[in-house]
Amino acid sequence: MSDPKSLGLLAQFETPADIMHAAMAVRDAGFSKWDVFTPFPIHGMDDAMALPSSKVGFFTFVGGVTGFFSGMGMIWFMNKFDYPLVVGGKPLFTPLFAFPVSYELTILLSAFGTLFGLALLNRLPKLNNPLFSSERFKRATNDKFFVYVETADPKFSAVETRALLATLGASAVEEIHDTEA
Amino acid sequence: MKLPHFLKCFVAALLCVGVFTFASAPTLAADTAGAPQAGAHEAAKVEAHDAHEGHGHAAGPVVTVLSQFGYSYLTAFMFVLSILVASMFFILIHHLFDAGWSVPVMRIAENMACLIFPWGLVALIPILALSTLGYIHPWMNIDPATDAALNVKKILFNKGSFNVGLVLIFLFWGWMAHSFRRFSVAQDKDGAAVWTRKARFLAGWGVYAFAVTVTVVVFLLMKSLQHQFFSTMYGVYYFAGSMWVTFATFYGILRWRMNFELKPVVSKVTVHALGLLFFAFTVFYAYIHFSQYFLIWNAAMPEETFWYVLREQGSWWGVGMLILFGHFFLPFLLLLRIDAKMSLAVMGPMIVWAWLMHYLDVTFNVMPVLYPDGLHITLWDPLCWGGLSAAFGFLWWKSYHSLPAWPQKHPRLKEATTHHEVPRSAEAGAHH
Repeated sequence: MSDPKSLGLLAQFETPADIMHAAMAVRDAGFSKWDVFTPFPIHGMDDAMALPSSKVGFFTFVGGVTGFFSGMGMIWFMNKFDYPLVVGGKPLFTPLFAFPVSYELTILLSAFGTLFGLALLNRLPKLNNPLFSSERFKRATNDKFFVYVETADPKFSAVETRALLATLGASAVEEIHDTEA
Repeated sequence: MKLPHFLKCFVAALLCVGVFTFASAPTLAADTAGAPQAGAHEAAKVEAHDAHEGHGHAAGPVVTVLSQFGYSYLTAFMFVLSILVASMFFILIHHLFDAGWSVPVMRIAENMACLIFPWGLVALIPILALSTLGYIHPWMNIDPATDAALNVKKILFNKGSFNVGLVLIFLFWGWMAHSFRRFSVAQDKDGAAVWTRKARFLAGWGVYAFAVTVTVVVFLLMKSLQHQFFSTMYGVYYFAGSMWVTFATFYGILRWRMNFELKPVVSKVTVHALGLLFFAFTVFYAYIHFSQYFLIWNAAMPEETFWYVLREQGSWWGVGMLILFGHFFLPFLLLLRIDAKMSLAVMGPMIVWAWLMHYLDVTFNVMPVLYPDGLHITLWDPLCWGGLSAAFGFLWWKSYHSLPAWPQKHPRLKEATTHHEVPRSAEAGAHH
């Protein structure tokens, strides 16, 4: 087997305060392709990582607007245009009776927008992640905290980044390799 | 998209929709009337008019200085009462959910709810007096023996039930509000858990009593202006609008006072949560009001439709549209964004707009009885609205300043002030 390509450095930390501190330092060092893994949500981590607001809301909104107008459009098309049918002496079309259906479709397609937008932005589904090859990383769902910096980051340097992570108090720094190769 | 740029686009889009709606109004009406299948619907409207006017009294009471004052005062009173009762509900759910984030806002609500007694009751007296003398609620001048609609409702709609019932409910509300504040202030001194338990117990049964009494009060004061009307969700409708305007008011008070005495306990989370609740009740109000309208429109029963038929006459139609777009669509679309709920440039004008919209909503309920042909603004309206609001604002301010600005030893105070904040140790690390 040829030498597998290095994908990044995984640093392990022991406490929430350490990982918060490390995230701030990595952020301040100007890295862009990196992530933090913790067993539970740590309040304030999005600020510490300088994460922008999520873009999922955009997909939700587009889904909702689509749902609303498809509900209105569908009922208008079926009741007034394609097959006019008088029900209960009511007008053939008014937004009033079309509203409950449009409203439900707004909710349904908003939910779809959220779900699929989330999957799209996270590049899911994904069958494997190189991080899974690390034995140590399994404890990210138990009691350890991790920072992962990718080699693809323009600021990445095999020596300096490792040194930076070590000075931040990492209890271990491990190189992650491309297991597919 | 940056928020200011978004706002410009938003205002432009909303103007287009507004112009289109108002311009297309006559077309919509003509469409309904012109379609042959709409005949039954139109007939129902005509019947509704007959049903309403066939009870041997004119469409509305005669406009005199006293009735004019009575209606303007009732509108203003219902506006102020909204904020008092919604504050009470806020306290109830705070205890029921064992909430943490709302602790910094609790004293604002406790002092607001306590205004129900004695001041709310004092402010109610002119309404009781004018109505009993026959200047406000038209049914007070009708003999139930001559009016079938009144006859079946005379258990509730009689002078005794009206006056005694309202006074008793206000006393009960006052007792409940003062109990909550008493528990809270007592805990300031000793920090004992017993006060939290007492408040929870009271909130447990109090929330049911609250739901029933709010409905009864709104039925008596506002819905009985047209005693023939049926709508079981009318109380919820008033409640929904009340919560909406109250969260706007609390948001304003919080943003103002967090620069002063509330500074140590208020975080971004508190502000955001209040913004979220304001947004949530924007939707809930629309949901309730639409449901009421939709059910009545669909069933097309004369004893219900006449209420909305009256509110589509003259400029009331425009008022209804303004409520639809101004009370719902504008705040709904504007506040969808997370950052809008935190922006004072958006929320500041929105608070004033919410006051205006809620007042208009109450006006839409009360005033068409006196002026069936359209919106009619007299000097009494701003005088009563401004006068009552200023008086209650002043009274709130006085009691708010006589007590500590937040529950000093509330068990969840620490959670409220540290929630979603960077851990201290991490902050210290970053400053090395």
